Amino acid sequence: MKLKYRIVPKGAANGVVPLNWVFIEKQDIDAAGILPYDACLAVGKALGDDCAAVNIMDMDAITVTSDGIIANGAVVGLASVDHGMINKEFGYLNISEIPFSDKLVEEEPHMRLWLTDYYKGKKLYRGPSTQDRGARTSHNENMTMTGRIANNNVGSEAMNMVDMTEILAPFFGQYELMTGGSVMIGVAGPIVSVGIGMIVSERHGRIFGGDNLGAYRAGMTAHNSGKYAKTVKKDYPAIAAPKSVLAEYSLRALDIGLIPGQHIGCSPALLSLAKAYGKPIAFDNITERAWIELESVGITKESLKASSKVLTRDEVIAQADSIIPGMDDAVKYDVSEICEIKYLDI
Amino acid sequence: MKLMHTRLPDFYQKIKDAASKLRPDTDFEVSGLENFKSAKLASLRVGRVEDEIFEITQDEGVKKVEVRLVPYNPESMFTVVIKGIQADGTCKKAILENMYLSSPTEECDLFGVEEIDDRRTGNRQ
Repeated sequence: MKLKYRIVPKGAANGVVPLNWVFIEKQDIDAAGILPYDACLAVGKALGDDCAAVNIMDMDAITVTSDGIIANGAVVGLASVDHGMINKEFGYLNISEIPFSDKLVEEEPHMRLWLTDYYKGKKLYRGPSTQDRGARTSHNENMTMTGRIANNNVGSEAMNMVDMTEILAPFFGQYELMTGGSVMIGVAGPIVSVGIGMIVSERHGRIFGGDNLGAYRAGMTAHNSGKYAKTVKKDYPAIAAPKSVLAEYSLRALDIGLIPGQHIGCSPALLSLAKAYGKPIAFDNITERAWIELESVGITKESLKASSKVLTRDEVIAQADSIIPGMDDAVKYDVSEICEIKYLDI
Repeated sequence: MKLMHTRLPDFYQKIKDAASKLRPDTDFEVSGLENFKSAKLASLRVGRVEDEIFEITQDEGVKKVEVRLVPYNPESMFTVVIKGIQADGTCKKAILENMYLSSPTEECDLFGVEEIDDRRTGNRQ
């Protein structure tokens, strides 16, 4: 029996990728008749003396980005492997399904997207349940760690703790990796650094929220670090989707009346898309702390309120590269150029 | 409660003695607790470690014993004590902060090891 997996190897994208990142489709694991943990271990052993972050993906499910946009596909498990080992208590993290409920949609307004034809009836995975987290304590992030490698924020940020390198993989970039599209790889830069902090409040979110709703709601900044927010992740490489992909998924939220800063995050990307698309922005619900961070990267109330031509849906997507700010120096790659598909014997 | 908890210097001496108990010429190295100038350690666990060091030396091929202590939780939380020291050595004000630190796990000490006998008990949280 063969197990298929994808790997973005260390050194990919002309050396920009600093560590191995493996993606295994849950359906391929099921077809091989093994458990997700054992699939991660098998890949770890196949890598020999090397190390990797591992994401287990269910492309029939859905997940939610940090700024509250539903995406097709989900991380349903993650691991760190090194020298064929997985740390006993911190090396693997299962992500349990979050069942649909009216209460969830009521408490988390961005989840109204789940009711649309795009996603209705699909299984949702975001962050781990309390049981999933196991030995992790309240201060531990949703992270796996084995040997040199840490895989954090439910498989969207990986680090090598020995050479101290790091790389981000916003979820839409992971979606492209799994579906053979194209990706933008480059330094995250100050705008993405600020945007990462503009999150929504959820129970069992990818980054925040356990049994209780996360304390940071739409319109707030989780970084909450003023002019320094733009520096937090600015120097790290990122694997992102083309901006047209980000635009398509984000417009689905704007199309059903979700408002940046009120129902979905106030990230530079969502604010810029709302302005171009002629949709409302919850100016008064965005906190002063968030405005400080936005203004530090040139996103001001004045610029967002200035009159401009309202574009159609197709125009917004076609012009996404100029509408959505950030990652200006990133290089576009076909996934086949930076991601290898491999098989191992089970 | 002297019997319940072992002094840090005594711990160092006990594990060093355990390493050379069978063959006095066995080399010994301990690392990982350099930042702790004083501490008390659970005595029953110190005894287990002593026994395990002695057990490791039962293999006649063992010429050196290495003992390394790493955080059980590799994403550890630290309290940061920031002090301003006056010319006379006193401190008028200190600021406390906390900070998380993600460090390599014990697997980094296990690369190439043929057999790993994990006797750790489950965490007590």
